[in-house]
Amino acid sequence: MRLMRSPASLDVAITGRCNLRCLYCAHFSSARDVPEDLPASEWLSFFEELGRLAVLRLTLEGGEPFFRPDLPEIIEGIVKNRLRFSILSNGTLITEELAAFLAGTRRCDSVQVSIDGSKPETHDSCRGQGTFARAVRGVQNLQRHGVQVTVRVTINRTNVEDLPEVTRFLLEDLELPAFSTNSADFIGLCRSQADKLQLSVSERSRAMEIMWELEHKYPGRITALAGPLFDVQEWTKMAQAQRQGGPPSHSQGHLAACGGVFSKLAVRADGVIVPCVHLSHIELGRVNRDDFGELWRQHPELQRLRERQLIPLSEFSFCRDCEYQNYCVGGCPAVSFTRTGQEDLPNPDSCLRRFLEQGGHLPDVRV
Amino acid sequence: MTADRPLANPLVVLREEFDDWAILFDPDTGHAFGLNPVGVFVWQRLDGRHSIDDILTELQDSCQEVPGEAGDHVRAFIDHLLKNGLAGYEYQI
Repeated sequence: MRLMRSPASLDVAITGRCNLRCLYCAHFSSARDVPEDLPASEWLSFFEELGRLAVLRLTLEGGEPFFRPDLPEIIEGIVKNRLRFSILSNGTLITEELAAFLAGTRRCDSVQVSIDGSKPETHDSCRGQGTFARAVRGVQNLQRHGVQVTVRVTINRTNVEDLPEVTRFLLEDLELPAFSTNSADFIGLCRSQADKLQLSVSERSRAMEIMWELEHKYPGRITALAGPLFDVQEWTKMAQAQRQGGPPSHSQGHLAACGGVFSKLAVRADGVIVPCVHLSHIELGRVNRDDFGELWRQHPELQRLRERQLIPLSEFSFCRDCEYQNYCVGGCPAVSFTRTGQEDLPNPDSCLRRFLEQGGHLPDVRV
Repeated sequence: MTADRPLANPLVVLREEFDDWAILFDPDTGHAFGLNPVGVFVWQRLDGRHSIDDILTELQDSCQEVPGEAGDHVRAFIDHLLKNGLAGYEYQI
């Protein structure tokens, strides 16, 4: 198994605090929800180590990164150590002044702002009163200063029928080049009210149909690494491959959905190094205490997660006799963990057979 | 000014990857350039002390069967780095 000498990028939760409490927040009430934030001085020391290891890019997330008043000082440390960065944000705290600061660094790849509706009623119902207007203002502040904005739409039970209008609003009114989608997953706060937020099978089918049509209407401008658009894209390929009976690729038929541990790591707000922000219960070490490069190359938990891709789906009773088994990669290990208590199991939410058995259907594909 | 002793741009990151290949990453632009092992060898000697002839001599001493056109290739590579701002010449103030 080949491994780079250091990860190319890192996800860094620079704060566990946030000004909002979005109903499906992946952070709060998860293992990444820690009480203390690392002080800026510790982040700056850690960035020096990353610079020496030739790490190239950081994604700053939280909590809400802009909630930290010392964010500019932290970003200056990133710049000083020859890294580029992007930020995941709810957008509501991005002022004209902060947007100008980000542009001035010349190192900001993008800022991702969450916008879940085309109008306040939809967006605010999950994210809080007045947040739509403030998020849109944040996007416009970034656009005025030439900072690339990549909006993320979290698809949930409240916004399925608004998706065509959200798309029009983002791509036409706000003139974004593209945006991405995911869905409210069984992680963090969403777990406590999954029945109100997560899509039912029929809503999931409907959302896939809508996103499939929108993706064809706006080719290349809507992307997804999770959620209904991702599902329809992946499941369509799986269903077609199964019908045609072609040979699976080398990773298919195994728990190979997540390649993250081959190229990146994450750090919690308290400085604990973890494989991924969504796998924050697996504590690998601590910044400025443990040798980051050595940990990346040798930590047994990382080796275990890297070898996950060698586990065949045929080992699981859940997958037994599944006609799609040879073309499946098992889904996100973090959702597997929250659903089953183990990372090394297939994620039931990503199972095409289960979806179809429960009455779901794929658009434009006979299976 | 050290006229024939090029210097790697200190802002540019050399990230070594598999099999002695590497990526040159310019954090100001986000552009990345792939380097083969000979490119890495040359880059690591762009320290303002080695002339291009010095680098060529070291390359010939370190490798077997260096082809005759290697000198032209190394000069072209360094020219490319200079044109793209990835290397320059140091000025003595």
